[in-house]
Amino acid sequence: MNKDTWSGVVLLAVAGAYYWATGAIPDSTLEDEVGAVGLPHVLAAALAVLGLVLLVRGALAARTEAAGGPEDEERDARLPRALGFLALGAAYVLLLPYVGYFIAVALLIGSVTLYEGAPRRWTVPVAALGGAALYWAVFVKLLGVSQPVGTLFQGLFS
Amino acid sequence: MTTFWDIVHLLTGTPLILVAIMGLTWGILGGALPGISASITMALVLPFTYTMDPAMAIALLACVYIGAEYGGSIPAILIRTPGTNSSAATVIDGYELNRQGRAGEALGISLMSGVVGSLFGLAMLVLLTEPLSWLALAFTPPSYFGLGILGLSVIASMTGGSLVKGLAAAVIGLMIATVGTDPISGVTRFTFDVPDLLNGVEPVLVMVGLFALTELMSQSGSTSLTQLKESVRIRLPSLSMMNKLKRSQTIGCILGLFEGLTPGGGGSIAAFMSYNEARRWSKTPEKFGKGSEEGVAAPETANNTVASTALIPLLSFGIPSSNSTAVLLGGLLMHGLLPGPRLFEQNPQVIDSLYVGSFVAIIAQIGVGMLLLPAAVWLVNRPRPYRAGFIFALILSGIYTLNTSTFDLGIALALGVVGYLMRRTGFPFLPMILGVVLGHMVESSYRRSLVLSGGDMMVFLQDPICVGLLLAATGFVIFSLTRELRDARRAKAQHIRDHQTHGQEAHG
Amino acid sequence: MNFKVELTRRTGLALLLAGALAGGSLFAGKAAADPAPYPVKVVTLVTHSSPGGGSDVFLRELSKYLGKYIDATFVVENVQGGSGAKAVARVAGAPADGSVFYATTPTYIYTSLLSKPPKTYKDLEPLVNIFADSEVVFTRADGPYKTLQDVIDKAKKDRGKWGAANPASLERQAAEQLKHAAGVNAAIVTHEGGGDMMLNVLNGTLDIGVGEFQELRSQIEAGKIRVLATFNPERLPEKPDVPTVKEAGFDVQLVKFRGLAGPKGLPDAVTKAWDTAIQKVLQDPEYKKEYTEEVLVAKFIDHKDYPTFVNSFATTTETFLKETGAIK
Repeated sequence: MNKDTWSGVVLLAVAGAYYWATGAIPDSTLEDEVGAVGLPHVLAAALAVLGLVLLVRGALAARTEAAGGPEDEERDARLPRALGFLALGAAYVLLLPYVGYFIAVALLIGSVTLYEGAPRRWTVPVAALGGAALYWAVFVKLLGVSQPVGTLFQGLFS
Repeated sequence: MTTFWDIVHLLTGTPLILVAIMGLTWGILGGALPGISASITMALVLPFTYTMDPAMAIALLACVYIGAEYGGSIPAILIRTPGTNSSAATVIDGYELNRQGRAGEALGISLMSGVVGSLFGLAMLVLLTEPLSWLALAFTPPSYFGLGILGLSVIASMTGGSLVKGLAAAVIGLMIATVGTDPISGVTRFTFDVPDLLNGVEPVLVMVGLFALTELMSQSGSTSLTQLKESVRIRLPSLSMMNKLKRSQTIGCILGLFEGLTPGGGGSIAAFMSYNEARRWSKTPEKFGKGSEEGVAAPETANNTVASTALIPLLSFGIPSSNSTAVLLGGLLMHGLLPGPRLFEQNPQVIDSLYVGSFVAIIAQIGVGMLLLPAAVWLVNRPRPYRAGFIFALILSGIYTLNTSTFDLGIALALGVVGYLMRRTGFPFLPMILGVVLGHMVESSYRRSLVLSGGDMMVFLQDPICVGLLLAATGFVIFSLTRELRDARRAKAQHIRDHQTHGQEAHG
Repeated sequence: MNFKVELTRRTGLALLLAGALAGGSLFAGKAAADPAPYPVKVVTLVTHSSPGGGSDVFLRELSKYLGKYIDATFVVENVQGGSGAKAVARVAGAPADGSVFYATTPTYIYTSLLSKPPKTYKDLEPLVNIFADSEVVFTRADGPYKTLQDVIDKAKKDRGKWGAANPASLERQAAEQLKHAAGVNAAIVTHEGGGDMMLNVLNGTLDIGVGEFQELRSQIEAGKIRVLATFNPERLPEKPDVPTVKEAGFDVQLVKFRGLAGPKGLPDAVTKAWDTAIQKVLQDPEYKKEYTEEVLVAKFIDHKDYPTFVNSFATTTETFLKETGAIK
């Protein structure tokens, strides 16, 4: 299966899931004629049609020639590598409420830097801690955003 | 009546110059931080203005607004992350210029275009507030529907080569826009009882997820550096370049004026539409998307124009046309100032300092920009692994400030995955972003019109503004589609030719 | 996404109560008068509105004067997001020692009912009520309607076009109830906030709008808008010639309350201190001058009766939402 076929399948699945989710929208007498589900139903149908077109087109193209993407995409990181990168961000989001902003940001900067192939030298922890201090100063001190303190340390600061 | 000496007094007798430059600098910094929108930047200084003189406080907020609208373009060009919603269109050609090692030039163009747009907007605000304010009144719900459709018609020219994929991306964007509270009945849609979804998905999360995270993910592990040259210098556009940009900047000014006047429009729609128009009227439309100077100038002129013209409905009716002007309204009210016709009679000193302060800020923008930009360029010039770590941390810190919610971070990361898959399978991002930005306006004004007319579709044809806008939209779509088809045919022919030449070379 | 919904929330709130802050300060200091003793030193007042929004301004303004009557320092904290659900959760989880309170408005009842968040209004203990906002029916000054009856007559003959600021809101509820009470045919058009609706009243798209007096002040002063009636139980002190909707013959009234709530189990010492302090602060001449200008009606309800008031408000709202099918 080529990219278009896959895309078509995914679009059909998204359209189906979205349509299914419209079932949870309550009916209200405050509603107009179009209703809260009016546009969602149209959108689900439109996406399904577009998905089908892609599916068919992909199947036809697969018979004639192997579709090749533009050069730019081929240089991109492979899926596992890209997801690994994102996983570091997900770890940040999960850790944030527990360890607090400063430590979470330091860990994020440090881990991403290493993941992206920086040599294992003293500069990595220094950059991580320095970056965390900088962002903490900008976001927490200067902008006054209440980034999480972290439940681990709540007793220490309050 | 304001005399020349009143203005001199404002400049010398009070720290207005200081206030204007401080506001501007703060605005640029806030605007440049991804996720910190112009309205958040303004809201953050609001508490500090409580104790200030009202005239100074209002001038300060207006200058922050001007700075923030400009500041958003800096990360758009340098790290493919729109700093504010309205700089999303700048990402397209700004980042492309950066990849070609012309970041200094792109930054210079966005700086000067911002100044041009702001000056034009200010001139309109000072000279034409009264005559222009009727335009805001002329917009009825059907007119807003026409405006929304006109905005959506831009999609036709942003499909990136595949109409089906472009439309599918737009539909997904519209689907994201339906999340949250229904605009007519108030029931909740697709919120799955998660309170964070009640107000819907913030457009900036979609932009950051699609543009910035996708870029970071795609570059992961890459050794081929798309790094700037260390010696990059900020280059203000030359006179001949400014001359070349005249057309796109004029388009940006006009659309910015229009969008600023109409509540609900806002900078991002103005930016996208002027990008599209600049391409249509350009002598070199083929360069758009591949690093066109005009592609940076048009949206940046437009969103900076909006920063001033959005004050027209605010000052004449007390109606904020965007989140940013809503914060400014809060500032006015906090100092006991009621926007409306009588503000001009009762508190002329507030109006004067607002005008003069904005003017100072616009001029100072060139100097402040030239000071700040080299620092920004130096920062993004660090070795790639470090840069990736710092950008990722900056994005995640910034979007947390939107609602102080880790849920938003999760949405952005999820959209990063979606964006990566879209990129690998050839789906364009821009239609999806337009769908997210415009979906709410199109749906609510359509339904509101029908409630008013009792279900009679004629309501759209009876409104002259709506008819005009719908005709324009139809024209756009036809024009864009024929051009896209022609370009696609040419590209295909070119591809085959290249293939043949390549084959011959290999044989030879 | 709904920048517009967001806009609504901010604007609507920004317009409430704002205005009187000139000369105010971020932290309210202890004033010269003799403040009553209080168990904690720092009191955090939490709001779901952004800086400059209605509840935010309300709290900052109030805290400026509270220092005179309660011996503590007052700090305002903005916990935005989730239409108030997050702020409610923040306060519900705080210690019940009088150190943290939430600024109540009908919003937190609506959010609790419509989106069923983990912590609702039921998890908070209402402390005291302070104000009621003024809700009015208005039309454009050069339009054909001089009284509420004119509007009703038009809706009887033809078809009325009425505006409400937001989709699921107290104003919508009032408009629906008025339509029902008068037995007329009117399209009720919801908007993205009061400003949006006012434009449509000014340009003649709508016959009338139902909204907050505060949002209309400048247009009323400029003579562009005429107030036909108020939904408040009593006439507005500033507009004694405007009848209430009830006086005009339709039994509909609403109270857009504004007060404080804390975590469950507040000690008596705390609730007593507030009962006394709020009564005094409402009499404070400077504060009175400021809130009167804002057309806010002082509506003190003490701690003993406030929970009953909030609960009966919630029951009415729940019934309305259930009847319409918005919730099950």
